[in-house]
Amino acid sequence: MPEFFTSIAGLLEGSFLQSAALWTLRTVPGFPPIIQTVHILGIAVLMGTIVMLNLRVLGLAVRSQELTEMTKRVMPWVWSALASNLISGGFFLFARPYRYFTNPIFGWKMSFLIPAVLLTLVFYWMQKRQAGYWEQDTKHLWSARAIALVSLACWIMVAMAGRWIAYVEYLYYPA
Amino acid sequence: MISSFLRDPFWIDIENWPISWEIGGTSWFPFLESIHVIAAAMVVGSILFVDLRLLGLTATRYPITTLSKELIPWSWAAFVIAAITGFGMFITRAASHVVNPAFQWKMGLLALAGINMFYFHHRVYKSIHQWDTLSQTPMQIKIIGCLSLFLWSGVMLAGRWIGHII
Repeated sequence: MPEFFTSIAGLLEGSFLQSAALWTLRTVPGFPPIIQTVHILGIAVLMGTIVMLNLRVLGLAVRSQELTEMTKRVMPWVWSALASNLISGGFFLFARPYRYFTNPIFGWKMSFLIPAVLLTLVFYWMQKRQAGYWEQDTKHLWSARAIALVSLACWIMVAMAGRWIAYVEYLYYPA
Repeated sequence: MISSFLRDPFWIDIENWPISWEIGGTSWFPFLESIHVIAAAMVVGSILFVDLRLLGLTATRYPITTLSKELIPWSWAAFVIAAITGFGMFITRAASHVVNPAFQWKMGLLALAGINMFYFHHRVYKSIHQWDTLSQTPMQIKIIGCLSLFLWSGVMLAGRWIGHII
């Protein structure tokens, strides 16, 4: 793992954020599975919104929905789900910073999350500036499809990596 | 009777199937689990906008039948994947799962979500032409949409809780 990444853990270790997160996870009955479920429900919302939008661009799903309208409608849900997942994930991150910031799979997760969010932003912004931007001609349509395909792959990898964080030893310390 | 059924040696036999050992002792388990999470998220994510539409909260410009026709096949496809991967994980510790309260809750909530869906598609759907395009749906439809959201969230919660008990 890059050193700057690991050093974030050093900043969080022993901080107020860590004690607050640990206190909540240990004190509130059932908090760990509840907040994990909130995290997975956030993923579900992303599946129903951004993943569906990508599938729509690829012509694989919800064909009757108009692209500009659909984008405008689902985006608030996308940002809310991302914000919610930042908070729900934050509890675990702050509670055990070294577990995450030294975990290569967590590094992978972030490496897929950043381009996934950036591609979503590009897709959204261009269409916000000009309605129907991605559908104006074949060239734009194919760019949109390329973005959708890469974005789709990234989001799936984010979810996959998220689950594998807990199984890091399967990948890095073969028995 | 249920208690003896849940403690039947049959469940141990399942755990001793060669495939159960193979999954439980290799990377197959986390692999199935990550697919399970993605598929389950897809089940809920694809149903979500149908439910929100039933509640009259979003996508009200589309008829309910259109949304349902385009989204529910995704829910089913994802459900089949979740069921297969779920079964793959279940057999590795079948005897512990059947007596795990979280697992029992999950199965119960899943059954209720199924009944709710069946009721909607096979009873309520007959009168759909009356409210298909209405943005404000009848109370009965709103209740079904709301129940679906809560039941599926409950399935998620119970499912996630299984790993904290086992």
